[in-house]
Amino acid sequence: MMIIRSSDQVPRTTLLKRFPVPRNLGVGPESRIGRGKTWPALAGAVRVKAFEIYRYDPDSDDNPRLDTFEVDLDDCGPMVLDALIWIKNKVDPTLTFRRSCREGICGSCAMTMDGTNWLACTRFISDMAAPATVYPLANMRIIKDLVPDLTHVFAQYAMIEPWLQTRTPEPERERPQSPEERSRLDGYYECILCFCCTSGCPSHWWNGDRFLGPAALLQAYRWLADSRDEATGERLDILEDPFRLYRCHTILNCTRTCPKGLNPGKAIAEIKKMVLERRT
Amino acid sequence: MMPTSPAKRPRPLSPNIQIYRPQLTSVLSIANRISGVVLSLGAVVLVIWLLAAAAGPEAYAVVQGALASWLGQVVLFGCTFAFFLHLCGGIRHLVWDMGYGYELSLIYASGWAVVAGSVALTVLAWIASLLLGD
Repeated sequence: MMIIRSSDQVPRTTLLKRFPVPRNLGVGPESRIGRGKTWPALAGAVRVKAFEIYRYDPDSDDNPRLDTFEVDLDDCGPMVLDALIWIKNKVDPTLTFRRSCREGICGSCAMTMDGTNWLACTRFISDMAAPATVYPLANMRIIKDLVPDLTHVFAQYAMIEPWLQTRTPEPERERPQSPEERSRLDGYYECILCFCCTSGCPSHWWNGDRFLGPAALLQAYRWLADSRDEATGERLDILEDPFRLYRCHTILNCTRTCPKGLNPGKAIAEIKKMVLERRT
Repeated sequence: MMPTSPAKRPRPLSPNIQIYRPQLTSVLSIANRISGVVLSLGAVVLVIWLLAAAAGPEAYAVVQGALASWLGQVVLFGCTFAFFLHLCGGIRHLVWDMGYGYELSLIYASGWAVVAGSVALTVLAWIASLLLGD
């Protein structure tokens, strides 16, 4: 029994590595994962760790596959992203993934590692199982290898109209906000839109076409909580819907997985309270 | 870069439930649903038992005998556990719906409390029924 206090904590023991469901449960023919290649360690490597990595080449007719790479830990940085870059430089230059800041602020390298979503640049290789498994963000259409197509989740983000909306005449100077009002955005404005939470949400897996998902809803609350925004009613009108908001069943995988330690579950609860309070 | 032909075939969907790690959050959520289904089926058993009681001593004896068999006892024990799991899980959801308990440490503390509480209440209920029965 272990109390997880922050989302970066890796559990000491894991009872189940995956849910006891068939490997191909509900998986379309184009998404079935085949057996891939094994790329053995380079000569002279002493400390070696195996990485099983999801591969998909859109230019071939092949299905996705799981390749195994043996990484020389003495020649490689400490993070999973370092291992991916090492593989790309030293073993297979076709390995494709998104990365930019390598310090957990751009959100590009979000992926499913050892079955949970996190940023590859802030997850230690030493925290990974043997063999380590690296998949692209769960439940996304895949463009190539570890690169998911985020068109749909960004369209859902656009739906909540993530910009300041005002009705009152524009003041001569900026719209002021007290430190107390500003502090209401803490825990929400830090979201980097990596979509770890949305990709880890079972409700979004089953109803992602209509349920907005935790990332978009946390952003929606960020604007609802902003003292300068004057479109609260319209924003709640967009959200008050059996699917867009209420497909959240408080599973809280989102809060468990957020690599920025934010709390999408709490944000969604606050939206539900606001919807309820305006009715009374 | 070569232009890809998007219409050629659909992009693969990356795996979700097939690879995502079971965590206390998701496991208790699905357990709450499963226990709800078990309780619905248990309600059918309850209705059968009541119907048999209304139908007369012979019918009642048949159903009572089935429930007293080891298989019947296992089913009843499962229903008791489902009842307490659903009850504790439901209280946890009520607290969440009021807007409390969303810190990750509280999510885990309340989650383990639901597990421990429903096991303890099930055992207590069976001890009580065995002591008070007959």
